Order: sequence, then C-alpha cells, then structure tokens
Amino acid sequence: MVAFRSTDASGRITGLLFRCVLYSLLALALIIVDKRYDHLGRIRRLLSVAAYPVQVAVASPFQGWNWFRDSVTTRDVLRADKAKLEAELRLAQFRLQRYEALEAETQRLRALRENTESVTDRFVIGDVMNVDLDAFRERVLVDKGAGDGIYVGQAVLDSGGVFGQVARVGQLTSEVILVSDAAHAIPVQINRNGLRTIAVGTGESNRLKLPYLPTSADVIAGDLLVTSGLGGGFPAGYPVGTIAEVKRDPSQSLADVDVKPAAALDRSKELLFVWLKPQAAELLPPPKPAAVPKK
Amino acid sequence: MMRETRIRRVPMALSAAGALALAVVPLPAVLDAFRPDFLVLVVFYWCIESPRAGGLSLAFFSGLALDVIHGVVLGQHALALTLTGAWATHLRLRIRVFSVLSQCLTVFALLTGYQFVLFWVDGATGNPVTTFGRWLAPFVGALLWPVLTSLMDKINER
Repeated sequence: MVAFRSTDASGRITGLLFRCVLYSLLALALIIVDKRYDHLGRIRRLLSVAAYPVQVAVASPFQGWNWFRDSVTTRDVLRADKAKLEAELRLAQFRLQRYEALEAETQRLRALRENTESVTDRFVIGDVMNVDLDAFRERVLVDKGAGDGIYVGQAVLDSGGVFGQVARVGQLTSEVILVSDAAHAIPVQINRNGLRTIAVGTGESNRLKLPYLPTSADVIAGDLLVTSGLGGGFPAGYPVGTIAEVKRDPSQSLADVDVKPAAALDRSKELLFVWLKPQAAELLPPPKPAAVPKK
Repeated sequence: MMRETRIRRVPMALSAAGALALAVVPLPAVLDAFRPDFLVLVVFYWCIESPRAGGLSLAFFSGLALDVIHGVVLGQHALALTLTGAWATHLRLRIRVFSVLSQCLTVFALLTGYQFVLFWVDGATGNPVTTFGRWLAPFVGALLWPVLTSLMDKINER
C-alpha cells in the first residue's frame, strides 16, 4: 500500500513527476528491449495467455449469434446449401482424380531426379477470432498458437489461395499478417510464362501491386500469379491473385500493375497453416548445428 | 483514507477491463477508424476523479494490456498512457471546474498527445502508419467524454 500513499499531510498529490518519469523509463526500456533483443518472446507469450480470456469474451457473443443463426435456419436453406455443396464436391472430386494422377506423375519425375519427396504439405486449420487488432494494419488473430506447433513465418492459406504468414506466436493464439498489409511482400511468378517478381501489399484488402516489373514485361490483365517458392517462406505453386490492371506509362521504366488477391482476405474465417514438406526438417527445429562449430 | 482507496479499486479495475474489451470488439471496417480509445478515456477519468488511488499505475498497466492485445511493441501504449495520464492528473483540479466544452477540448488535446506518442514510437520502431485516419480517434473520444463521465459518475456514486 505504501506505493499508493502518494499524498502529503495536506492531501496534495506528491511525487507525480517522479512516478511519471519512473513509469515512462520503464516503458521506454520495454520498447527498446522488445525491439532490439529477442528476450521478451517468452514473456509476451505468457502475457498473450492472460489476454486470451478478454479475446474470447469479445469473440464469444459473435460465435453464439452464429451458432443461434445456424440452429434456426429453415429446411429450405439447408436443402439449398446441401445441393450447392454436393455440386461443389462433385466438381472437386472430378478435379482430384486428375490431381492424383498428376501427383503420381510428379513423384515419378522426381524419382528420376533422385528426389522422392512428396509435393503435398501438412495442414492445420485455424479459426479467425472475432477480434479487431488494429484498424490501420491488415492483421488477424487466429486461435492456434505455439501449442499447436505454429511458428513465426509460417505460410497461411485459405480456400482461395495465399492468405499471409504468421507474424507473431502466442501460446494459444497467433497473429497472421495478410498479403495485403503494406509491410508484406511475397515472391510470385506469373503462371502463364514463369516470369518472377514480388507482390507487395497496399494496405487495402482487395488490392496488391507488382512494383518491380519493367514496362516491357510480358504481363496482361487476367494472368494468374502463383507463389514461386523462392525465399523458402511459402510453398511453391499456390495462387496469390490475378492481374487486375496493367498501366504502362512510356515515360516510366516500371509498369504499374494491380493484382486482385485470390484469397478472400476480408471474409475468410477458416485458415490453413502449412508445413513445407521439403524444408520442414530444416525450419521446424531451431538451427542447432550452427551453434556447434563455436565450441 | 485506506477504506476510500480500497472501495474505488474495484470499479476502477472493472471499468478498465470493460474498456479493454471494447478496444478489440469487432466493428465494420468503415466504423473501425472512428473507434475511440475507450481505455484511455477511462484512465483519464480515474486520473482526474481519484488520483490518490494510483491512477498512474492503472495507466501503465492498462497501456501494457493494450500493447499485448494489439500485438505491437511492448511498452508503446504504456508509455503514451503514462505520459498523458500524468498530464491529466496534473490538470485534474482545473478540468473539474471547466465547462463541458472546455473539458472536451482539454480531453481532445490529451488524446492527440496520446496518439502522437504512439505515432512517434511507431516511426521509431520502423513500422509507421501514416494514414490520416489515426487522428480521427481523438475527435470521437473528445465527443464521447461528457457521456462517459456522466455514466461513470453514476456508477461511481453507488
């Protein structure tokens, strides 16, 4: 209680400046330590567990409402949904038949090159929590964390394509930075001709841009962009978006290319966390062998 | 005096927890930029209303909670809230006798100071947000101040 007894005999507040300076220095120290050094990761992970009840309390009324709405839907709606899903499933199975044949063919071709690794990746599905992190950054909170093996930099997909990557991991939750965040860039290639470039976020959830393509580059509206797999962060071959518009200004050396993201960045509720098969062995455990030569 | 501070701790913690939840309640994207800093207003209220109950400690730890829940660099909101909380405590005797309009203007200045510290730390740590949208929150917060104080006074008097 001593710390809070901050009045003198006449009831005036004393030590305001002292406490203000003390707390400010503490906050500054936290900022510097958190920014410069990586020691606070564990503390932050524990603190995020403390924040979890608040996040759940905020998200649960919305989940409850969704549950309520689900349980009172009419028979007609359910029948319509069922018909739609069956049609989609038929189409997906039709595609899958071809996929299995293609995977077998890829395995054979890789076997020729003495590289028999599977092209399929391991997935974990996470739900986006109904929590607004920051109005001015494209980020979402997902209910899977370090406890589920999620790691920083992990690729995140939704049913349409590449969604983003893991920016920060808590024990129970993790923060995903979307491909459309202004601080995010992803190596891509144009599916039609294999042209490689980098897609950068704009801060708007329905637009990416390709700022590094020369005006003479072979790119036209409607081209599909897929991940190139360069850089090792994202698995290769997943759709990132389609070219929406190409503006070529002859006086500029670089073209102005807008991309419409393939993932439903502002709507998706279920996300896939992907483990890269070939690199997983190198990425998942911390790089211990690097420390050995120091001995 | 001891009894007085102990009685006030509970509504203080409860209102802060409620405001923290409001800070992350999902809003439509259009309204999101207009979201006032509820927790900051609540901290100001307690700094002005009962500065003896440890308003600055509340400010620091509320800021830390905001840092964790927003997933930004630890200490950012804590620093901003400590500085502006101390400012509010310093101004408390004057604010109490101000008219509603002057109160709103003072709170607007405090909230702008708060946003400025956040803006500065954002820039210093290398991920600046330069949209003008972030300066909307002080406006909305200042407009909300009279409503919030009358509401909190009602709760506090019980």
